[in-house]
Amino acid sequence: MDEPELIRAAQRGDQRAFEQLVRLYDQNVLRLALNLLRSPEDANDIYQEAFLRVYKNLHTFRFDCSFHTWLYRIVTNLCLDALRKRRVRREENTVVETSEGFLDRMDTVEEARAHGDPQRQLLSRQLQVRIRQVLGELTPRERAVFEMRHYQGLRLRTIGDMLGTSEEAAKNCLFRATQKMRAALGDFV
Amino acid sequence: MKCEEVRTMLPLFLYGELSFDDEERLEVHVDECAACRDALARHKAMFTSLDAAEILPTQDQLDDCRTELRQRLAHVQPEHASFWDKIREGFSVHFHFAPGLMQPIGAVAMLVLGFVAARMTPGSLLGSFHAASVAEPVTSRVRYVEPVSQGRVQIVVDETRQRVLSGSVDDQSIQRLLLTAAKDPSDAGLRVESVDLLKNQPQSAEVRRALLYAVQHDANAGVRLKALDGLKDFADDPETRQVLTQVLLKDNNPGVRTQVIDLLIQHHSNAMVSVLQELMMKEDNDYIRMRCQKALHEMNASVESY
Repeated sequence: MDEPELIRAAQRGDQRAFEQLVRLYDQNVLRLALNLLRSPEDANDIYQEAFLRVYKNLHTFRFDCSFHTWLYRIVTNLCLDALRKRRVRREENTVVETSEGFLDRMDTVEEARAHGDPQRQLLSRQLQVRIRQVLGELTPRERAVFEMRHYQGLRLRTIGDMLGTSEEAAKNCLFRATQKMRAALGDFV
Repeated sequence: MKCEEVRTMLPLFLYGELSFDDEERLEVHVDECAACRDALARHKAMFTSLDAAEILPTQDQLDDCRTELRQRLAHVQPEHASFWDKIREGFSVHFHFAPGLMQPIGAVAMLVLGFVAARMTPGSLLGSFHAASVAEPVTSRVRYVEPVSQGRVQIVVDETRQRVLSGSVDDQSIQRLLLTAAKDPSDAGLRVESVDLLKNQPQSAEVRRALLYAVQHDANAGVRLKALDGLKDFADDPETRQVLTQVLLKDNNPGVRTQVIDLLIQHHSNAMVSVLQELMMKEDNDYIRMRCQKALHEMNASVESY
């Protein structure tokens, strides 16, 4: 079955079709949530909530936009809400200062990947910490646009659709995000 | 193009988000300007560092997410399109008014539509309509068309009319309609509602047969779960247990399998032990495996068959 057929079957209540639909996108959904929230537990919560919403509301999907855009609109809204709540709670950063220096709570998550990526191994620990700090200092919207453009490779027009804004506004967000990162990482690169 | 302008465009250039003309102008400038070439190299280095900072979920994380989602979905019903959703779906143009304004605007639009239609419809047309004795069909389908003579035609139309019936759920005629609706292959929502009503009448043999049929054959897990709910007082009935055993070994939905285990283990039996042992050999859901193990342990049986 191709994607529209899967969607229609899932709309008729076909559980297997829904599961196949989930598997088309769920790795990227988890990846986006993980990079935006930098917490495996929070990323799992977003994953569950996003696909439960899709399941409950699939009957409202009318093919006005691509399913990918519709799904990401749900995921990014959930992520933005979570990031905004964090800002209120002042828990934006995963980097914490300890008596032994800066520690990142995400280190355990990335450990598995570091072995397979020689480029990653070359990066100094200081640079990694600085990158995470600056990502934490971006506004939720800047962060979302940056993650979707840089890591997910989505076009700015698509990102604008997903965030309910214009391509121009998404471009401005991306520009501000890269400016901030350039300023913060200038000493390292 | 000035250096300052080039510097602001470098990130968008690297993301391939510049227009063809801007990209061309930037490339020409960078070819000629050493400082901007250097700035571009620094941006590329920064992008490489950022690439390496990406977190990729591990396969275990993804598997955990999928397992949890499957378990949660088993307890959730998808919502179905309401009457107004279906009406709205019929229109290809979507308006974006504040939600509170939609109903009054819709009401006014329908009034205007009705008024205009009444004014525009020729009286002769309405006359012939009544003469043909077509009494308010809800839906109709032209089944057969045949020219008769001299420009006249004979048309055979299938009509479906709506009737509203109300009555007690244990009323025989209401129950018969519910039993029919519980098997309607085109509408899972209708089946869920019907089975939900029928499940309170399992003392009727006909209803129990319908519930057993739904548990075994309905494509929708929500319907199967509702039917199982109706069978909970018959967990010791041999026919019910036989069907539940088949469902336990065949159903693809972990929520359904979990509920079947709950029903079956209410009454311990030797037959139950071998069924659970067989399930343990092929079950991949951790939660269900744990339930099986616990049940086998309570029955003093080993987890594996030998």
